[in-house]
Amino acid sequence: MKHYDAIVIGSGINSLSSAALLAKTGKKVIILESRNEIGGMASTVEFSSGYQCNIINDTIKWVSPKLLDELNITKTELGLIEPEITHVALGENNKHIFFHRDINKTAQSIRELSEKDGDNWIGFTLYIKKLCSFLEKLYHITPPTLPNVGVFDAFALKSMLNPIMKHGTTGIVDLLRVAPMMMPEMMDEWFENKLLRGSLSSIGVHHSSLGPFAASTGYNFLHQHLYNNGIIHNNHFIKGGTIQYAKNLKKIAESFNAEIRVNTKIKTINIDDALCTGVTLENNEIINADIIMSGVDPKNTFLKLIGAQNLNPNFHRQVRNIKYRGSVSRIHFALKNIPQIKNISFENMNTMFSICPNIEYLERASDTVKYGSLPENPVLEFCFPSIINPTFAPSGKHILSATIQYTPYDLRDQKWNADTNKQLKQIVINTLEKSIPNFTSLIESTKIYSPMDLESEFGLSEGNLNHGEMTLDQFMFMRPTISSSQYKTPFNNLFLCSPGTHPGGGLHGTNALNSVKEILKN
Amino acid sequence: MSKISKYDAIVIGGGHNGLTAAAYLARAGKRVLVLERRHVLGGAAVTEEVFPGFKFSVCSYVVSLMKANVMRELMLPQFGLELLPLESTFTPLENDYLLRTADTDQTYREIARHSVRDAETYMRFGPRMGQIGMAVRPILETLAPNAIRPSFSDLLNVKNLLNHFKTLSEEQFEYLTKLMTMSSADFLDEWFEFEPLKATMSASGIIGTFMGPRSPGSAYVMLHHYMGDIDGAFRAWGFQRGGTGEVSMAIARSAEHFGATIMTEAPVEKVITKNGRALGVALENGDEYKSDIVISGLDPKLSFLKLIDENNLPSDFLNSIKNFRIRGSSGKVNLALDGLPNFTCLPGDGHHLRGAISISPNYDHLERAYDDAKYGNFSKKPFMDIILPSVLDPEMAPPGKHVMSCFVQYAPYDLKGGWDDNKRQAFGDAVINTLSEYAPNIKDIILHRQVLTPADLESTFGLSEGNIFHGELTIQQLFSLRPAVKWANYTTPIKNYYQCGSGTHPGGGITGSPGEMAAKKILGLLS
Repeated sequence: MKHYDAIVIGSGINSLSSAALLAKTGKKVIILESRNEIGGMASTVEFSSGYQCNIINDTIKWVSPKLLDELNITKTELGLIEPEITHVALGENNKHIFFHRDINKTAQSIRELSEKDGDNWIGFTLYIKKLCSFLEKLYHITPPTLPNVGVFDAFALKSMLNPIMKHGTTGIVDLLRVAPMMMPEMMDEWFENKLLRGSLSSIGVHHSSLGPFAASTGYNFLHQHLYNNGIIHNNHFIKGGTIQYAKNLKKIAESFNAEIRVNTKIKTINIDDALCTGVTLENNEIINADIIMSGVDPKNTFLKLIGAQNLNPNFHRQVRNIKYRGSVSRIHFALKNIPQIKNISFENMNTMFSICPNIEYLERASDTVKYGSLPENPVLEFCFPSIINPTFAPSGKHILSATIQYTPYDLRDQKWNADTNKQLKQIVINTLEKSIPNFTSLIESTKIYSPMDLESEFGLSEGNLNHGEMTLDQFMFMRPTISSSQYKTPFNNLFLCSPGTHPGGGLHGTNALNSVKEILKN
Repeated sequence: MSKISKYDAIVIGGGHNGLTAAAYLARAGKRVLVLERRHVLGGAAVTEEVFPGFKFSVCSYVVSLMKANVMRELMLPQFGLELLPLESTFTPLENDYLLRTADTDQTYREIARHSVRDAETYMRFGPRMGQIGMAVRPILETLAPNAIRPSFSDLLNVKNLLNHFKTLSEEQFEYLTKLMTMSSADFLDEWFEFEPLKATMSASGIIGTFMGPRSPGSAYVMLHHYMGDIDGAFRAWGFQRGGTGEVSMAIARSAEHFGATIMTEAPVEKVITKNGRALGVALENGDEYKSDIVISGLDPKLSFLKLIDENNLPSDFLNSIKNFRIRGSSGKVNLALDGLPNFTCLPGDGHHLRGAISISPNYDHLERAYDDAKYGNFSKKPFMDIILPSVLDPEMAPPGKHVMSCFVQYAPYDLKGGWDDNKRQAFGDAVINTLSEYAPNIKDIILHRQVLTPADLESTFGLSEGNIFHGELTIQQLFSLRPAVKWANYTTPIKNYYQCGSGTHPGGGITGSPGEMAAKKILGLLS
């Protein structure tokens, strides 16, 4: 029986960050990963001979600057690439909107479709930047214990004073107004052009099962734009693929003597009364530790690894009621040649593209979640990772990786299987061909990850990429449950650091940062 | 002809909130004038004899949320308020039905017929929601603070509310948070399994809102409708004897008893302002009335965009009012019947006709109805909340005949191509066709029908976009943000101009609350 200071379960971005932060304080840390490679949602694999893809995330929206400070590394050292054009919203009549790092250039691009919207653009970006400045502070606070807010909780909220001093309480009121909004409501206040409204609304439903008409998509919109300096649709690619981000974090953790074991499946998290003692592996090996951090989602942590029989009924009810509802699939095409997109030059192809011509299109695609079917016209976000990282494909050849919304985990009249995947593939091809004629003829091979595949491959409950829906009822002190939102659990020594905790999903590492802060406090 | 006369207060709009405000002010000894555009009082709470012998609660049709202290302080029972309890909620299904009545044991048995687990849970659910309702009550009764520049008393109020929340258990706080943010379907899914039960319960989360049961935020609307539980022992949804208009008339009689003057057919054209101060009102016929203060019972759009010159309003406030969501989503179909509808699943007369009849067999029915409206059409198979007032109060219809009130969702105000008579009739047909799936004899017994689209609700009752709540009950439009930040305590940027309609805190329904609280604020009784 081995003993460590800390065990970290999983090796995604938050797990690796947690391990690095703990190891930095001199603790003896071990990371246990069930797959044969680290990375979790930052994984990159060879999906077809000679072709690599970033399985889930091609880009990173933002990284916690405090995490970077703590780990003493810069965004560039982590491999983050910031393209000048961050996103292209493809228009139905081949009039596209180009989102630039330079907001004036974005305004110029929008002006070609709507003079008025172009004029409103700068104001909009400043508004979003202001709202995000409040969230940036809020995201680095451990949620208070409610309803009995303690002195320490109140004290932690003092960091919120900074943005309040800067923007006045008007900023907070604006945030309280915008976060519960639905995207069309936000759009009505600013813009008229259909493509712009659709494209921005698609950010509000990013990786969600909700449609744009759902309240709180305003919050999800803001969630994607922290530390982005008002650059809307911001995207950072990673040199060497998304896995490189994880590998760089791993290197830091290892520099502090953290151990990493892959191919190590955990059978149980061991509970002795109200104390968590360690884990038992599938091969019955027991590893004990003083701190156990779970980077897997709440359902896996509590229902699978600890077991319902060890939970008190009220906590069990809370955990059982966490909503996952994965609705996102990924598809990767190995291509013979670089496709031609109408009105897009090759120099501008090193960015993210989206097909979402208007809000109604987006909402109609989301209706399928309610009825458990596949969308006829899906919303697609895609890029060519082989342009960003030429080693991803054999010379002269390319790949196209797309995120598909909405593809509900719970299908009603069919099950996820090879046939459904094939059906989905055809739907995606049909949609892509509207912008890329002859796309079919370019395809060499295809790999699909449905929500079911994501669940079985990465252990993501219902295939949800955020370890729980990003909605207001699962926000802050309600994430993952009201009784475990301080990264602590009902079991002493067991802590959470997954995106299932405040402040939610994405490869930003804030969950790890906050969680380790709580651990070190004790 | 221009009459000049000076009042202490003028109330624009003789809806139930306007009348309530007027009654409270008159009761405090003020000289009050109420100006109503139509020939009848009541606004959306009105009874009219639409067809000879047949009386209808034309728009608003049930009462439960009326505040007990308002009834008491304005002596409403003495002036004709008499609520006849609805005896049941009946959900007809294809080959079966779900019936909940005032008899707890019967309700248990009826639900247990479908799911024993749900029957057990249902008995726990009601008291639990009652507790949450109690927990919310202090918020509803607090003057919404100014969130930008809070006054000392605002801060005190907030402190009291925070202290109040500290008295809740973690579980109560959890449920409260969930009710404020979730969809009604998600909330109910945590409790129940039998879908017709869940769908029918979730329907109170969509009434008057442009949301489906699966839209986040609808749980709050459900809670809003549950507040009716608070005072009575039973879920006290009731029907006013003589129709909903009699509620308004009772308040009007109370106001007149205290000395208020009420004028009908007196449409107000403008609020007269000078140097940012309200001086009185000008009627459409040119008459002018002076007063110390002017109170609008109309919705925020009309109160500010129509009655006040835009140039007199600060731009941020003007923007807030313009952006205030007030999308109408419901229509009303009133039927004069030759007999009673006969439901295939439960034939004949009975308890089930003496309460609410809900066409909500499952979530999909409601969601598909919502989908139609989202994309600009009326629902082909709408959700309906139906009552038969003449069964409870025989005076509503000639002997042997009946009146039926169908509240229908969804009918979007912004219908593709706009509303016209063809669309109105097609909408009416959709309602009748849906109803006839459950009660096939309905087509044979209809003597007359009145179809009201959101456009009709707007033109007849002055409800902007046909929204029955004077603005959607979404969390960004509640409390300190209803109807706009800084101006949620019934005051407005115009000095001496106040608002008291459902577009203010605590929102819509026949509650009397905004009217009462506005009047008390004006009288300095609320800090």
